[in-house]
Amino acid sequence: MASNAFQFGGDSESEDDNFNPAPADLSDDENEGDQASERNGKTGRRGSSPAADEQSPEDEENERPSKTAPKSGGDDEEEEDGAEDAQAADDEELEEVEEEEEEEEEEEEEDDEDDDVQHRHRRKRRKDHRAAFFDIEAEVEDEDEAEDEEKDGEEIEDFIDNAHPDDIAESGHLDDDRRHRELDRRRELESSLDAEKQAEILRKRYGKRAPARGFGDMAVVPKRLLLPSVDDPSIWAVRCKEGKEREVVFSITRRIEERLGTKNEVPITAAFERGGPNSVMKGYIYVEARRQNDIMIALDGILNVYPRTKMMLVELKDMPDLLRVTKTPNLEPGAWVRLKKPAKHAGDLAQVLDVTENGLEARVRFIPRLDYGVRDDALSTLTADGKRKRPGMPGPRPPQRLFSEVEARKRHPRHITGNPQTNTWTYMGEDFENGFQVKDIKIQQLEVNNVNPTLEEVTKFAGGSEDGTENLDLKALAASLKSNAKVAYVPGDVIEVYEGEQQGVVGKAVNVQGDIVTLKVTEGDLKGQTIEVPNRGLRKRFRPGDHVKVIGGSRFRDEVGMVVKIVDDRVTLLTDQTNTEVTVFSRDLREASDIGGQGSLGQYSLLDLVQLDPTTVGCIVKVDRESMVVLDQNGENRQVLPSQITNKLPKRKTAVAADRNGSEIRLDDVVREHGGQQRQGKIIHIHRSFIFLHSHASTENAGVFVTRAGNVTTIAAKGGRITNANSGPDLNSMNPALKRNPAANSNNMQAPRRFGPDRAINQTVTIRRGGYKGLLGIVKDTTDTHARVELHTKGKIITVPKADLIFKDKVTGRPIDIYSRSGRGGFGGGRGGFGGSGDYPGGSRTPMGSGGSERTPAWGSSKTVARTPAWSRDVAGSRTPAWGEGSRTVNPYDGNRTAYGGATAYGGGSRTPAWTSGAKTPAPDGFGHGSKTPAWGGGGDAWGSKTPAYGVSAPTPGASGPDSWGYTPGASGGSNAFDAPTPGAGLGAPTPAALNAPTPGAYSAPTPAAIIAPTPGAWQGGWGADTAPTPAVGAPTPAASGGYYGAPTPAAYGGAPETPAAGEIRYADDD
Amino acid sequence: MFFLHNLERRVTLHPSYFGRNMHELVTTKLVKDVEGTCAGDYYIIAIMDTFDVSEGRILPGSGLAEFTVGYRAVVWRPFKGEVVDAIVDTVNQHGFFAKAGPLSLFVSSHLMPDEIQWDPTAAPPQFTNNADWVIEQGTHIRAKIIGLRTEVGEMWAIGSINGDFLGCLQA
Repeated sequence: MASNAFQFGGDSESEDDNFNPAPADLSDDENEGDQASERNGKTGRRGSSPAADEQSPEDEENERPSKTAPKSGGDDEEEEDGAEDAQAADDEELEEVEEEEEEEEEEEEEDDEDDDVQHRHRRKRRKDHRAAFFDIEAEVEDEDEAEDEEKDGEEIEDFIDNAHPDDIAESGHLDDDRRHRELDRRRELESSLDAEKQAEILRKRYGKRAPARGFGDMAVVPKRLLLPSVDDPSIWAVRCKEGKEREVVFSITRRIEERLGTKNEVPITAAFERGGPNSVMKGYIYVEARRQNDIMIALDGILNVYPRTKMMLVELKDMPDLLRVTKTPNLEPGAWVRLKKPAKHAGDLAQVLDVTENGLEARVRFIPRLDYGVRDDALSTLTADGKRKRPGMPGPRPPQRLFSEVEARKRHPRHITGNPQTNTWTYMGEDFENGFQVKDIKIQQLEVNNVNPTLEEVTKFAGGSEDGTENLDLKALAASLKSNAKVAYVPGDVIEVYEGEQQGVVGKAVNVQGDIVTLKVTEGDLKGQTIEVPNRGLRKRFRPGDHVKVIGGSRFRDEVGMVVKIVDDRVTLLTDQTNTEVTVFSRDLREASDIGGQGSLGQYSLLDLVQLDPTTVGCIVKVDRESMVVLDQNGENRQVLPSQITNKLPKRKTAVAADRNGSEIRLDDVVREHGGQQRQGKIIHIHRSFIFLHSHASTENAGVFVTRAGNVTTIAAKGGRITNANSGPDLNSMNPALKRNPAANSNNMQAPRRFGPDRAINQTVTIRRGGYKGLLGIVKDTTDTHARVELHTKGKIITVPKADLIFKDKVTGRPIDIYSRSGRGGFGGGRGGFGGSGDYPGGSRTPMGSGGSERTPAWGSSKTVARTPAWSRDVAGSRTPAWGEGSRTVNPYDGNRTAYGGATAYGGGSRTPAWTSGAKTPAPDGFGHGSKTPAWGGGGDAWGSKTPAYGVSAPTPGASGPDSWGYTPGASGGSNAFDAPTPGAGLGAPTPAALNAPTPGAYSAPTPAAIIAPTPGAWQGGWGADTAPTPAVGAPTPAASGGYYGAPTPAAYGGAPETPAAGEIRYADDD
Repeated sequence: MFFLHNLERRVTLHPSYFGRNMHELVTTKLVKDVEGTCAGDYYIIAIMDTFDVSEGRILPGSGLAEFTVGYRAVVWRPFKGEVVDAIVDTVNQHGFFAKAGPLSLFVSSHLMPDEIQWDPTAAPPQFTNNADWVIEQGTHIRAKIIGLRTEVGEMWAIGSINGDFLGCLQA
């Protein structure tokens, strides 16, 4: 802003902070009134001034104007007359306006406004020539130019008071000398007073006036009268360099001052700018003048402004708008801003340290991006065409790091100076304090609004102190945050007042209106009261353990978690999804409902399995606002958009895979990785051979990892599927016992599930039926029932039922039984064998059940060594190895099988009684099938009641829970402990035979245990049997005996003496 | 805290099991279904006894019979502020997870006494005060529950060992 007149106006207006075009002093009359009243006081004071000769200095003063006044009058003399008239008219008119209100309307008004505007520069004249008119006294002590106008009044008043200065002058003529001396003395005295006292005096004298005058102005003149009219000077917009608006205006001001009073005074009345980074009016300054040419003259030769380009005349109606005040954000030290300008630092957060007086520059500190000359060489090299590379584009900018003196010295020892004590350095022309770069930056080059500093950024600044302690200036931070993000409180929020009179009060918001929050106090003395507090000093309050959700601007938005720590208004929480800790402001939090609906984006939610491309699937491990992170089947993370996902794969509840042991694994089973990190997790998806596991142990990828199904071992199956043996039948599905008609039975009697490749593959076979009967071939591939055989003769592959194959030794050509050798029942062999036994209910008897009552495990008890599994402990004694639970035996049904297996080559004793028992057992007595436990079936003698199997209602190991599986019958024997799992121990190693170690039976041949051993000899043995001297292997098993007896199962024998135990001697041999 | 709680549940039974011992089967099924599960904000630890097995109602469509069974069970409901003993499960630098029976408990490093520091160099990594406290996998600790979260079939707690008599249990 420039021009004397304008400044003048501005001066007086600054009191009410209103820039709108209201000329300062509209009604001089008012002023004068005020002043008059004040003056009266003053004169009164003067009147009462002590000495009579005090009068004389005043006279002196009165005389002075007669000397000075003509001079000042002379200055303005040229314009005086015309202006004078106008002035007089003005005053009258104004008064009229006041009295008649708005009668005059339009024309008059315009005139008024006219005059008002003109006042600005007329005023000075006015006072001058009034002074001349009235022969103003010169007040010696009045050096303040700005106060001249007040003086006017005074002088006028004085004039009235001392109506005849001439007289005085004349009368005082006598002691003229003396008075002069007096005056001199006074002046000396005054000059000897120190400035403060003078100021004090001045303030006393004038201090009270300004506000009074201000009120007078505003109260009287309606605003619309102040609007510019056509008679006022026009305003032109002149192009200037963007960002230099203010500079230009300042140089205009300077020029005005320079030329003031010279011949070529600057002929403009005002100049101002409305620049600013976001202003639409940037790139222009606005100059008010009568004629366009005046502007040319005024701006001629000033830098950065282009008066010769086209000037735009501002229309009358736009003028007020031009001066409308928009509140500019005030930069305060400590506030956060973002840098725009040094390109290297664009977007970096900076903290304001200081703002220069003129408001143009701010001293800020920020984290430097220095490479300490590492890339200097690259920079100095010339490009191919011999030009230097542009230094502005040095490739990627270095990361933000605090200044390091050591690094700087490495390459530029000469460019660094500074003081290690204060840790201030100058390096390459830049200043560094405590590691931060400090720089004066033009405010235009700072982004002041929407700074939104994140906590991370701010923490960097805080962490900068030497001792590493946090010294966050939370207030400044909050202040800079507050401006853009209004905290929204909703009724129900628990709020703490941290500022103001009510500090420390905690309450629950009951009502929010605008900035006022009504709290119902919940703690402390005020409890129960309702108070209203301004929004400003509030923050939300949480307690550790609260379940909260992040809302608002934080980058952790939408995370849900539990609060673990609270410091002031920073809250640390542990997120539900990833189990990581994040810190946010409490204002960004709100209480979360316990049902976290978080973690979904459109139709995709956390842990879903999605198809990424035809060959790739992945599991969603993180959901952001617009994208998500997917862990694909190869264990890689990808960030994808919902649009990049082909589709979501529904969870297949029935999906099954086999672990490395061949056990079936399903969703929700807990498995452990074999090898590698041995991670353990719950299966959440099975996709082909890949399984996705989830564990709480790691936080990486939300605890999800992927591995191959063949690479895991089962820890626990969901619902104890494997151990289901105990838990009885599935009461939601068909009772297996009811499925036992002969046909169904024989159909059901399928080979036990085998794992691994079919052993038939690559075997040499001959075909014994059909068109290819007698031909020799090699099995290439098999299904459950059929084999594809490559014939030696025809060189072609045919499909034949497996049952039609005879396996031959490759070398000798002798028929072999590939399954039995491996411990599996001969496959093709006497299926029919069982058919023989048909649905003989005895099938429900276990081998040992059949063992005859006298040979129950209990029986073995008489022989100390030969403790049978079942026997031993008093509790366990009543347990059968085969036992099931409660009223069921494990193996009634299996017993069936076993028996069956035993009788045929098929079961081959390779089944343990316990085998896959559970769900299929007909056990429940209620059904009358196998209603007796196997052992029971043996007979009713006393011993029988002690058969292991008998333990009908007594809790058996299994009955008491899965862990009791650890107890094996063998264990009871004491000798074999755990390596002899009971047949019933349907866990992993279900059969006694499973162990390579001697089974109990092996020790004490005649015990039923012996029976157990061989019977269960089991397919399990199939794996280890070859090497293990288990009964199942070398020794004739019941199965072996099957050959003798046709198809009698052990069970079939019932109480017959020839129990499997018959093999006792041989067992002993084995051992 | 443990409670004896009277509960009710509907149990269905396949028609093929209809017979004399049906009630027994229903009971068995109930036990199988319910014991050891998390029912919202408590765990059903054990079923004490079963009483009041209602008449069965045949469900249209499936033929299953539905019984409403009232039973009494021992339940455990963890409370905020409750002190529990737990066994440390996994340890990481933010804190450690522990199991208090079926309940997973997380103790953040903020919620430990100040002198307990994360020591990543130890094998296995641990929290220790360089004296008698070492928190690693398997350590028995006593913690106070300060927050609880329940999900379907799962509960989560945040605990603190910052307080008198909390922390490692000297075995």
